[in-house]
Amino acid sequence: MEDKKLEMDSIFTPLLAIEEAARCLLCHDAPCSKACPAQTDPAKFIRSLRFRNLMGAVETIRENNPLGGICARVCPTEKYCEGACSRCGIDRPIQIAKLQAYLTEYEKTVGMNVLKKVEIDKEKVAIIGGGPAGIVAAAALASKGYDVTVFEKREKCGGWMTYGIPELRLATKVVESEIAMTRNLGVQFVNNCEFGKDETLVSLKGKGFKAILFATGYSEPKTLPMFERSTKVQTAVEFLGQAKQGSIKNIEKDILIIGGGDVAMDVAMTAKGLGSENIKVVAIETLAEFPASKKELEHARSNNISIFDGFKPVNFDGKTVVFESLVDATKIEIEPSKIILAIGQKDGIAKHLSEITKNDKGNIATNEYQTNLEGVFAAGDIIEGDKTVVYAIKTGKEAAIAIDSYLGGRR
Amino acid sequence: MLKKNLAIEFCGVKFENPFLLSSSPVGNCYEMCAKALETGWGGVVFKTIGFFIANEVSPRFDNLGKEATPFVGFKNMEQIAEHSLEDNLAAIKRLKKDYPGKVIIASIMGSNEKEWEELSRLVAENGADMIECNFSCPQMTSHAMGSDVGQNPELVKKYCQAVKRGSNLPMLAKMTPNLGTMSVPAIAAMEGGADGIAAINTVKSVTGVDLDQFVGYPIVNGKSSVSGYSGKAVKPIALRFIHEMKCNKQLAKAPISGIGGIETWEDCAEFILLGCQTIQVTTAIMQYGYRIVEDFISGLSHYMEEKGFDNLQDMVGLALNNIIPAEELDRGYIVYPKIDEEECIGCGRCYISCYDGGHQAIVWNEEERKVSVDQEKCVGCHLCANICPVSCISKGEIKFKPNQNHKEGDNIVLSHHNGR
Repeated sequence: MEDKKLEMDSIFTPLLAIEEAARCLLCHDAPCSKACPAQTDPAKFIRSLRFRNLMGAVETIRENNPLGGICARVCPTEKYCEGACSRCGIDRPIQIAKLQAYLTEYEKTVGMNVLKKVEIDKEKVAIIGGGPAGIVAAAALASKGYDVTVFEKREKCGGWMTYGIPELRLATKVVESEIAMTRNLGVQFVNNCEFGKDETLVSLKGKGFKAILFATGYSEPKTLPMFERSTKVQTAVEFLGQAKQGSIKNIEKDILIIGGGDVAMDVAMTAKGLGSENIKVVAIETLAEFPASKKELEHARSNNISIFDGFKPVNFDGKTVVFESLVDATKIEIEPSKIILAIGQKDGIAKHLSEITKNDKGNIATNEYQTNLEGVFAAGDIIEGDKTVVYAIKTGKEAAIAIDSYLGGRR
Repeated sequence: MLKKNLAIEFCGVKFENPFLLSSSPVGNCYEMCAKALETGWGGVVFKTIGFFIANEVSPRFDNLGKEATPFVGFKNMEQIAEHSLEDNLAAIKRLKKDYPGKVIIASIMGSNEKEWEELSRLVAENGADMIECNFSCPQMTSHAMGSDVGQNPELVKKYCQAVKRGSNLPMLAKMTPNLGTMSVPAIAAMEGGADGIAAINTVKSVTGVDLDQFVGYPIVNGKSSVSGYSGKAVKPIALRFIHEMKCNKQLAKAPISGIGGIETWEDCAEFILLGCQTIQVTTAIMQYGYRIVEDFISGLSHYMEEKGFDNLQDMVGLALNNIIPAEELDRGYIVYPKIDEEECIGCGRCYISCYDGGHQAIVWNEEERKVSVDQEKCVGCHLCANICPVSCISKGEIKFKPNQNHKEGDNIVLSHHNGR
């Protein structure tokens, strides 16, 4: 692949990791640690690294987050820890994500086993959905002794991490080894099991599950009516899933991607990697308010992906897509051989839960992660909207606490 | 977090862990010591108290850097406590009351036998668990006190006896490194009744000279003074003195509290492996704060877990037998450096150092930017391995020197220093 390698692809050497840690100002009340939604404590693990306590540094990451290696690779850290880093005021932030990736690789190299299995002696909890929110909740509950089963619709767990984020940014082996840590805590996984078809609330309660957590994510792609009938059109969810599974053999030469988020950038870079030559991204947002992270946007641009901002699709006749500028009267006409829609995803689970209450945004309504149905909880994108892995982790952790207090309250 | 049992008994006193503040600016009042104990330190050596009340200069510190690293060494001009004796005794009393499980050591300094005896009695009355006699501060404004005393074995012995008359608390004598052999005053201290030794205090120093004003640092109204040097740079000197005392038959059983340039858990482990049972720290705390003890506890716990030590005492002194006189070292072989070409980045630093500081044995291929070893010239000094920024030079082929006792197949244990 000719594209310039993403920074994340390379793992620090020990010397570079120590050097980078030595750049850290070791702030008092460090802003990086306050900026992580998942409560990662970079100030602490970097300090441990600086003082040559690598194992302690690994513990700081891992005890907080069973998916720490994944976060290190996919988190838009510019918005969180690295954006908050005091060193931004001098030159550039400490490369916190790269240090975290280094430490989680070190963990693997020395065979550390931080998350220890405890005796399973508490109630059965069902988790619907094996994405980041579900896995983190499962790990947190299993660590407290709950008998947790994760029901996953697809063949593999991981959700968007497995079927969405390109291999280049997040290798399958990283996802698999981190899910294995949760499995080792005694969590059971039932794959190829779809809620609404293979299981229902009634069937799960019948099997003795005392609490049920929905963490199914935004599983269904959004589309636009004008694109619905064409065979040229595919959604980003389908495209990235096929690409990650290695099932795209021939890629079209001219590809039009509609959307301006990280997913659109992932699609563009994946198509480029598969050999597509002429890739255009058209987004409704202007660059000033672009939803994709700066890192991903720069990466796409440095790989000669054309980006048109502030244009809305107005017509598609099966051949040509017409866009109109939101700013002036400009029009663009593009005649691609393939169109990929990366305009967001939506909830796909609420339709199976007829009695569940929704909020005014159309998401499942929760109070402390509890829905209006007894013993039924929800976490991740389905309650918070279209967010990041790190947000899914935050809600998964917090939902686990809510479930524990719900079940513990009965004792 | 993994946390091993780090408890240890030292001079008959039980410590929850071996990590102590050393007597210095970091343990100057109740609030500081209390915060340190809350952070996890096993005990404190309260800043030296006496009838002498210090009047200090401003500024009073300097640090030595190298490249981008500050605080390689640190210079301090503070003397003993600046608070009144009554306030300090009250602080010690309150610390012991509020932290009964921690060890409170009172550092004391008198200018004559009567003062030493009286101070000993006073700190015992106020609840101190132990006494440390400061025979070693190198920047006292009175020559009847400080390192001038520590260099005089007769005075050391006499003052130890005075302290023992004042109370029966376990007592450490804190030694100065500003002499050639530490064992002489250390033996005098033990003869005078000391229960153990604390070493080292700071090294007399001039850290640098201002090139415009022609004055040493720190500059106090156009002048400066010789005063104590500490920090990472003095660690090797401290380890050497501790080794010297531990290998002296008359001191072999004297418990030692190790001090000098300790920043990481690895430094702590080194002092313990050379026979120390407790560890005292100041400079790294001045730079980074009390919080560094968290990584001492965690890092040392992981090390013990990895090595299978269940008990800190099992580690004490394990390295002592492996530091031997130069004349006893095996001089029968050369081990050649082995260069990993895959890892080599072609910087040429080994070539320069070998030529200018070694034996011109690294051959530089200018076109390919590659290096190789000329075994005709190489003496196996491994300067190249010390220099290499990517650690791609290791130990390779061994050649036995002719007419020596080795034969091929002899088992020689090789390992490189890990680069710290």
